[in-house]
This record gives sequence, structure tokens and C-alpha cells, in this order.
Amino acid sequence: HRRLPAVIPTPPVSASPFPNPKSQYCCLSRNFSAALTPLLPVQLPSRMETHLWYVVPDEVKSAPLLSKYMELLPQSERDHVLGFRGDQLQKSALLARTLVRTTIARYQVDGHLDPRSLRFKRNIHGKPEVEWETKDGFCPPPLQFNISHTSSLVACGVTMNSLIGIDVEEKRRRTKNNILAFAKRYFTAHEVEHLNAIPDSELQQQEFIKLWTLKEAYVKALGKGFSSSPFNTFTIRVNTAAQESFCLPLNQASSGIAVETLDSPQNLTNNWQFALLELMGSHYVAICLERQETGGAGKAFPIKLTARKTIPSVEDELVSGTNAVVTIGGSVTQF
Amino acid sequence: MASITRASVSMPSLSTSVNQSQRRISGLNSVSFPVSGRSMIPSLRLQRGLQVCCAAKQETVDKVVAIVKKQLALPADAAVTGESKFAALGADSLDTVEIVMGLEEEFDITVEEESAQSITTVQEAADMIEKLVEK
Repeated sequence: HRRLPAVIPTPPVSASPFPNPKSQYCCLSRNFSAALTPLLPVQLPSRMETHLWYVVPDEVKSAPLLSKYMELLPQSERDHVLGFRGDQLQKSALLARTLVRTTIARYQVDGHLDPRSLRFKRNIHGKPEVEWETKDGFCPPPLQFNISHTSSLVACGVTMNSLIGIDVEEKRRRTKNNILAFAKRYFTAHEVEHLNAIPDSELQQQEFIKLWTLKEAYVKALGKGFSSSPFNTFTIRVNTAAQESFCLPLNQASSGIAVETLDSPQNLTNNWQFALLELMGSHYVAICLERQETGGAGKAFPIKLTARKTIPSVEDELVSGTNAVVTIGGSVTQF
Repeated sequence: MASITRASVSMPSLSTSVNQSQRRISGLNSVSFPVSGRSMIPSLRLQRGLQVCCAAKQETVDKVVAIVKKQLALPADAAVTGESKFAALGADSLDTVEIVMGLEEEFDITVEEESAQSITTVQEAADMIEKLVEK
């Protein structure tokens, strides 16, 4: 508390997304009072389930709420948030830390868990993990999580046991570079062909973003850092039930998405399964999971997904099964 | 995209700390820094043995700054210096890869994934570029 978090709007020196600080105090609707409501506890996902939580930064406008979130963070994380340039970047960084802390706290591992008390560490490759307290008789749960954020969406995926990587991106995200030039430099030949085959430039841009998020999600799930799996060393392939084809656009909900690594080109790597979602009509969310069990004939069970939109300690909304969350690739059952 | 002129970037540097000024000595056409004790900037004392020769040229840093500003759609007058971290400026992983691609094109170099991953600031990018250009 030595200084006010800069995320509280101050009179603008340069263009600020909060031009009138005082107006933010009264514009929050629904259920908000000075005391935050307790986090709604949630059961840990079962072995076969994936939980997806997300926050829409534009819906979180209250300065007092943001400063409460700041209070949940240790000083080092606050400093990290404040190191971002400008209100909007600071806000999404703050919401990312808030989301991961409050989400994991909801599972009330070992009874009660305060989001403030969670500690995080990085594995030897730099992937963030929870550092559970080592108490007598306490066996830390094999809870896995991964976060991704853009300025317009912050998301956290949680599983039990299964390594997970998630990546979110705005559908409309445009690359500054020419897509094919970029893909030729960084993707595999198969993926370049896939993109090249799409005549409409708008669709091609969207396919690029879908591929990008799937590739990011895979590398994040592996957890070994980007340099250990350069993007041009693995191909994302789309299969339909009828035939293997990566010339089809990623639009069919029954299509399977798989990864093929260059060092074993004949064998599709069966260890990983993917889901591609369209969220709120505006974002792509790619999820990559370590495969736990397979069904008959080497087929995987569909990913069982529960998706919730949240403003931590204010409101939660179950959105899986609604048109806020549309499966556009991979085999997914929404609960 | 207008490139940043030396004058606009480096004039403020005269009043900043010695550390920063080492990297932003302005107005020089030559790249060698005087180490004999006769400083071009009267207010600094360059000590003998100080390795200012290993810092990237101002011109390189300027070009990196221009590419970063373009990629991240920052205003021309945004304060971006050697110390600026890409992530803090709002670069996500796609931006960072695009920045690296832009640097490859600008300087006619190839950046391996391992090196690309280790670049987090403008200065690191500029230093890496100069190493690769030397080859």
C-alpha cells in the first residue's frame, strides 16, 4: 500500500481509456457492494473434464474493484502489472493474475484457500505452476492450469492431471506481415499449402489465426518453451471422420485436429487432443490437452468442457452450451 | 513510416544518467567512441576500459524502435528506448515473432528460434542484430 496502484484512473496525461475517473465509481451494475462477495466454490474438474474461465476486461470498469484485485497480488506481481505501459495493458495483466488466483482458490484445495495465499513457481522450462504448501499429510492435487490473454479477453483453463495449453486471440487480428510470407517463414509446408488454398483473404486471415492459436496452445501444453518446439517443426492437421485431409477449413465441429511432429511424420502424435472454440463471436480459443485415455480403435473421448464467464468475486455465468461458446474444431462436449 | 531522427531521440539523453547516455550518444557519424578521456559530451566522463564499443549503434537501435512502434501501432512520439521491454509495450507472442521477422527483413539476417526467444528488449534485439550482421 505504499503507493496507489496506477491502474486507478488518474487525470490523463496522454490519451487514457478512463477519461473521467469519477464516473467509474458508479457505473458498475449488479451485485457489487464495497465488500466483494465470496468466491463461489467449485468442484475440481474430474479426470476427463476441462474447465474454462474467462474475463472480458471491457466489462470490468470499476476502479475500486480493480484496486481490490490488486490487493490480492503479492508485491512482485503488482510490480509486474505496473510495469506494463498504459492503463489497458495494466488492466489485462492485472485481470490475468486475478483470474488465475481466484480460479484456483475456488477449488478450495485442502479446505479453504485464499487467492492471496497461493504461490506460484516456474518449472525448469519456465512454465508457471502452483507451488502448494507442503504440510504433513497433504498431497497436492495434480491440478494443471494455463492462462492466455489479449487486451480484450483473459482466459484460464484448468484440468486435473492433464497437461493443458490454451491460447486466445481476436478473430479480427491482422498480421502486419503478409500471411503467406509469415507462414513460409514460421509454419510448415503443409500449413502453408492449407492457407494458400484459401482464396478469400478474410477467411485466410481467420484460418491463420486459428492455426496460430492451435500451435501456441500445443507448445504451451508441452511446457518446454517455444525454442524447444519451433513452429516449423510440427504441423497442425485437421481430419474429418471420412478421410484425412488438411485442405478443409477448420469449421466442422466433428473434425478432429491433430498434431504431427517432423521427427515422426508417419505417426500422428496421439498424445495430444485439441479443441477450437469461437467465444462470443469475437475470439478464437484453442485448447490443447494431454490425452488421458482413448476410446475404442484409438479414438479419443471428446473433451468435456465447462465454460464460465466471470468477474471474480462479483458474478459468474455458466456459458457452455450457449452460443457464447461454439465448437469449431475438435471433438468437444459442453456441459 | 517515418524513421526516428537522431535529434529527436537523443537530445533528451544528455540529461539522463550516464548509463543511458552511453547508449545514446548523438550526432556522431563515426561509430567509435573516444576512450582516451576526451569526451564528446562534456558532462560525461568516459572511463578508460569501459566497453561502450560493444553496445549497438544508435542507428540500429533507432531502426529496432521504428519496427517495434510500427508493429505495436504506437504513436511516433511514444517513449521507446533500449531498455523498453517488448512485453511491457504490449507485444504478445505473435507481435514478437512479427517484430523478429521485420528485423530479419530490415537487416537481412536470420534469427534462430533460440535467439528470438531470448530477446525481450529493444537493446537486446539491437545487440543481437549487430552480432548477426558481423557474420
